[in-house]
Amino acid sequence: MYGWNGRILRVNLTTGETSVEEVDPRTARDFIGGRGWAIRYLYNEMDPRVDPLSPENKLVFSTGPLTATPVPTGNRYMVTTKSPLTGAISCSNSGGFFPTEMKRTGFDLFIFEGRAGRPVYLWVNDDRVELRPADHLWGRTVFETEDMLRAETDPRARVACIGPAGERLAPIAAILNDKHRAAARSGVGAVMGSKNLKAVVVRGTRRIPLARPDELKALADQVVEEVKQAVAAGKATLRTYGTAYVPPVTNEVGILPTYNFRTGVFAGAEAISGRTLNQKYLVRPKACYGCPIACGRVTRVEDPIFGGEGEGPEYETIGSLGSACGVDNLAAITKANYICNELGLDTISAGVTIACAMEMYELGLIPESDIGRPLRFGDAEAVVEMVRLAGLREGFGDLIAQGSYRLASHYGHPEFSMSAKKQEFPAYDPRGAKGMGLLYATSNIGASHMAGDTAYMEVFGVPKKVDPLSWEDKPRLVKYFEDIFTIIDAAGLCVFLSIRYLFEPTYNVEPVRISRLMEYATGAGYDEETLLRAGERVYNLERMFLVRAGFSRADDTLPPRMLHEPMPEGPAKGHVVELDRMLPEYYRLRGWDENGVPTPEKLAELGLL
Amino acid sequence: MKIRIKLLAHYQQYLPPNCSSSSYEADVPPDARVEDVLAGLPVPVEESVVLVNGRTPQPGQALQEGDVLCLFPAIGGG
Ligand code: SF4
Repeated sequence: MYGWNGRILRVNLTTGETSVEEVDPRTARDFIGGRGWAIRYLYNEMDPRVDPLSPENKLVFSTGPLTATPVPTGNRYMVTTKSPLTGAISCSNSGGFFPTEMKRTGFDLFIFEGRAGRPVYLWVNDDRVELRPADHLWGRTVFETEDMLRAETDPRARVACIGPAGERLAPIAAILNDKHRAAARSGVGAVMGSKNLKAVVVRGTRRIPLARPDELKALADQVVEEVKQAVAAGKATLRTYGTAYVPPVTNEVGILPTYNFRTGVFAGAEAISGRTLNQKYLVRPKACYGCPIACGRVTRVEDPIFGGEGEGPEYETIGSLGSACGVDNLAAITKANYICNELGLDTISAGVTIACAMEMYELGLIPESDIGRPLRFGDAEAVVEMVRLAGLREGFGDLIAQGSYRLASHYGHPEFSMSAKKQEFPAYDPRGAKGMGLLYATSNIGASHMAGDTAYMEVFGVPKKVDPLSWEDKPRLVKYFEDIFTIIDAAGLCVFLSIRYLFEPTYNVEPVRISRLMEYATGAGYDEETLLRAGERVYNLERMFLVRAGFSRADDTLPPRMLHEPMPEGPAKGHVVELDRMLPEYYRLRGWDENGVPTPEKLAELGLL
Repeated sequence: MKIRIKLLAHYQQYLPPNCSSSSYEADVPPDARVEDVLAGLPVPVEESVVLVNGRTPQPGQALQEGDVLCLFPAIGGG
């Protein structure tokens, strides 16, 4: 095979046995790789109704056919499993250096099954596979774990691991790799913890064979050159500011989440922007493997209370731990980000859950004695303390670690949870970007920007601006973006580069370059149409996993605030999400019935019957 | 009449010298349209998102006293 290794490593943690399997070429092509292969295996092998934290759940790490190739940003892996946060499928995505190293071991996928009797870690050094005891690592932070593992395996090895949050089965626990990069969402860290799997360590030296290496290299070089020219022309927004450039933009549009999504306008937007970050805390930009953009931030905060050093924050973190909590103190947000990375928590879910608790505290729905302190909007110190307690599941942090839906339900008011399918919203108030509203509601993984970020067009004008406040055109847009993001994920690329450089700037966002790159890498017969069809196939199979797990139209919804409370101020003033009007059309375009279930005709058309 | 011009992300390099915030006040003719003002800015408008008071303007839209005309590069990512 080309592009893919065509090999899967299966690890039975209960018995300690490992085995190697080959992937047949048709499955490889039809499901692309990464997230697509992962759902194909999970769907065939496990009952979607299992308890996510039971040994019956499986956990898949997957790379794509473009991971570890010369294609810029070919540095992604995905973590797919049944989520303890949502009960649906997860698709948590991360870059950095671990995924490239993983692919170079000669395996595309690691499938973990069962549960180890004692803490273990997996050490894959090319073909040598070993499960090793990890008792000495249990209880350690992410940073300590990575340092210790590199010392005892290979200093060039790359590590993905959980922190205390994952060990303690927090439904908002992340898996961190390269210390600061996170497959953050949907509680994938808790699944790893439930399996007593502390870490996965990889060292790989294989080259990925390519079907048409010269053509691939030429097109990859051309893309890199385009990015470099933009940088040289002073247009390097992501390199200059990171995604932290965004808060003033979303604030201008009136969708920067503020006070638990009560409003989309935040007076402190400039104080939590990339400009402030650069003036005060930025040490240098940092790139993932093979990335000419370098949106990562190496930062250091000198502050008596919030001091520290590490990486981040990026926009989603700022919107969640910052404006959603009414916090305009960038030092505190950065510190809270460091703690999330150290203890292994999703910054988005942590921030939005704290925001939920703040609103409920202010309304008198959570007694101060439960929290152990006041918890008002704008209290920067409280955010940092809550994040720490959540990561350790201590005190009130035990409830925060369970996410906003469980926390709000515990006090009898789930309506204060700004989540869809129990997963917290990313940092765009959907009342001012209707496509995001439909996306959050329908997404297979619950609320997520990574499931098909229509804000690209609605807010950022990429590849073309559309009106964020219209709803009529959004069902079509959401479907396209979901299918396209599926392709990007499954291929193993980063969205930031892909959307701008690998798709054509038409309404349909035709996947011209990405389909060529896929064909040059794999030689499997991809063109635009087969690739789009494959993306749609993967998306539908994920949906079928949800259907079998018991999800239906009733779950494709949003909190009442988004549906019935008009945005109180700003450019989106007076708007709600017209979900009832968009949903039927979206189902129709998808070829799903009125309950959101793929029809037999659709499944047959996609070869899924 | 007076409007505010707001430049975000790396367009802040086009702000007038000594401008400490992201926006500045500008004097424009009373019948100015969005396009007229854009033509006088040193910003690559065709690569930009243009907003008036946070919303996408209509082609030929006339500006009003106190409007905020905002531009940022079409980049995306968050
Ligand atoms: S754009 Fe940012 S997240 Fe994407 S590969 Fe580059 S550095 Fe990593």
